[in-house]
Amino acid sequence: MTNDATNAAQGTAAAAGHAHGPRMRWAKLAPEVYKAMIGLDAAAKKGLDPTLVELVNVRASQLNKCAFCLHMHTADARKAGETEERLALLPAWEEAAGYYTERERAALALTEAITVLTDGFVPDAVYERAAAVFEETELAQLIALITTINAWNRFGVTTRLAPGQG
Amino acid sequence: MSHRMRFWSTVPAFYQAQLRLTQAAKKGLGDPVLGELVVLRASQLNACAFCVDMHVANLREAGVDQRRIDLLPVWEEAGGLYSERERAALAFTEAVTVLTDGFVPDAVYERAAAQFTETELAHLLAVIVAINNWNRANVTVRQPPGEEL
Repeated sequence: MTNDATNAAQGTAAAAGHAHGPRMRWAKLAPEVYKAMIGLDAAAKKGLDPTLVELVNVRASQLNKCAFCLHMHTADARKAGETEERLALLPAWEEAAGYYTERERAALALTEAITVLTDGFVPDAVYERAAAVFEETELAQLIALITTINAWNRFGVTTRLAPGQG
Repeated sequence: MSHRMRFWSTVPAFYQAQLRLTQAAKKGLGDPVLGELVVLRASQLNACAFCVDMHVANLREAGVDQRRIDLLPVWEEAGGLYSERERAALAFTEAVTVLTDGFVPDAVYERAAAQFTETELAHLLAVIVAINNWNRANVTVRQPPGEEL
C-alpha cells in the first residue's frame, strides 16, 4: 500500500507521537496475505473510473473510521483530479444536491449499504438504484471494489494503523 | 430473496484473487477447525446463507461435534464447549466483522493477543477479513445456498 502520500506523511505521523498503534505490523507478519491483498485490489479496480474508485474508497474509510486509509485515499482522490469541495461534502453527499452525478450517488449508496452490511443487508432499493446506472460487469467490479476497501479498512482499524504508517 | 447476479463468474480475476487471499490466510493460521468456526460465526453475523450452508457442511465433514456447531451463535453462554483460545478468536471475529460497532476495542484485541502469537493473530485477522469479503459479495447479490458461484 505504499504510495507518495504515505511516504510524504511519515514524518508528520512520527512527530504527532500517536498514542495508539500500530498494534501489530500485519503486512510484515503475513506477507503472502499482503501480496494477495495487492492482487485483490488490482482485480477490483479493473475498468472503473479512478475518480469513482476514490470516492468509494474515501466514503467506506470514513464509515469504518480507518484513518490510514482515509489519509491515503483523500490524497489519491486529489491526484485523480477530485475537487476539495466534493471531498469535503462527501460525508453529506445525500444532501449535497448537484455535487455528485446520479451514477456517483448510486455508487455511494451501495458503498454505505455494503460497508455497514448488518444495517439492512443491502436493501432492494439500494441495489436497484445501482443496477439502473451500472451495467452488470461494472456493477460487479463496483461490488468487488467496495468489499476490497472494506478489507483494507478492517486490517487498518484492527491493527490501529495510523496515517502514514506502513 | 432472488439471486441478483452471478457475481463471481462476472469478475473471474477478482474471484481468483479472493481464492488466493483465502488460501494465504488459512495456511498461515494453520488450524482448520478454528478457521471454520470463525468463518461460520462471521457468516452468521453477516447473514450470508450461502456461506453458512458451506461452512456448517465443512465443520460436519471435519468431524466437529454437532453441539459445537449448533451453539456457535451463543458461544459466550455455552460454558465449556469452546476453549479460551476459540472464545478469544470468536470475540475477535465478532468485533472485526461488525467493525462499526466498537471498532475492535482494546479488551477484545488483548484477549486474542494473549492466546495467539503475533503471526497467528495476523493470519486469524486475515481469515476474518477474507470471509467478510465472501460474505459482503454473496449477501449483496443474494447468492442462494448450494448454488454454483
